[in-house]
Amino acid sequence: MKRYYLPLAALVLIALVWFGILGFLSTDKTKFHGDEYRRPAFDFSLTDHRSQKFSLSDHAGKVILLNFGFTNCPDVCPTTLGMLGEVLDIVGDERAMALFITVDPDRDTVSKLGAYIPFFHDHIVGLTGSQQAIKQVNDACGTFYSKEQEASEEDYLVIHSPAVYLIGTGGEIVLRYPKEKLDPKKIAGDVKRLLL
Amino acid sequence: MTMKKPLLVFLFFLLAAPFARGEAGISVKDPWVRQNPPGTSVTAAYMVIENTSAVADELLSVSCGCSAEASIHVIETGEDSMVMKEVPSIAVPPGASVGLSPGGSHLMLEGLSGDIKESVVLELKFRSGARISVKAPVLSPSAAQKRSHSHHH
Repeated sequence: MKRYYLPLAALVLIALVWFGILGFLSTDKTKFHGDEYRRPAFDFSLTDHRSQKFSLSDHAGKVILLNFGFTNCPDVCPTTLGMLGEVLDIVGDERAMALFITVDPDRDTVSKLGAYIPFFHDHIVGLTGSQQAIKQVNDACGTFYSKEQEASEEDYLVIHSPAVYLIGTGGEIVLRYPKEKLDPKKIAGDVKRLLL
Repeated sequence: MTMKKPLLVFLFFLLAAPFARGEAGISVKDPWVRQNPPGTSVTAAYMVIENTSAVADELLSVSCGCSAEASIHVIETGEDSMVMKEVPSIAVPPGASVGLSPGGSHLMLEGLSGDIKESVVLELKFRSGARISVKAPVLSPSAAQKRSHSHHH
């Protein structure tokens, strides 16, 4: 009976090694969680929620998560901002930054953003500016926004992209996270990798 | 049978207590409301609505003493855009649970009478005639994040 043990042990060992290799190959560590979204470096100047001028080019060397929204948005925008706050906490690096660009500059003034943004996280920057400047940032990200039709002058919603865009250290857009990929741990993993 | 009947009855009510139960097998679980950010007067409420009966039901309306208006919304996601849309009702099929959650269907509270704190009471009305009153805790952004992890992962 004893002579069967050795071949059996060898077989088990071979199986373990084989499955180990398969497992290693299937978790491709070179792949980002976000969708690859290479767009050339760009720049913009807007006003932040502390009334300071904000130019993207002043923040070269940082990894920036950018999203669009408006303060009168009851569900999606606060959900995304809460998620971005958690990403910044997980990354825990001054070189990681999150931007919230309003798509409703007529109502979202600097003081409105000044009250709204710090509620979510100290290191999220809220930005506003002219309709034209905000449209340019949307264009650079390959997206758009528009006021909802059939709404009143004061009470309206704004249709906009729910995605988060990741800007690399050189100012280029590297990744895009559609709504179903807004997972804070996985986004934090991408940010950490790009900061290495 | 050594267990005493009163104890069994007590245990039953202890287990049933967290579920606000109406008639017709409709119940609401895990309700919560997003704390409104400073300077805003709009927010959203979330929950799971469960229909244990064999008959289809429908959430028809919601109201809250905390807000001037309350309505049912769904989110329509396009290729690269997204917009909320008010709907007259939400179907709750027999034997099914319908989740209202961030980024999806939700109850929108507009015209908040002030900043909401701790908890609010929501009154839900169903087609079956069931009326359910639930106390929903108010969650800060970080508390809401924690909750979304414990419920989806």
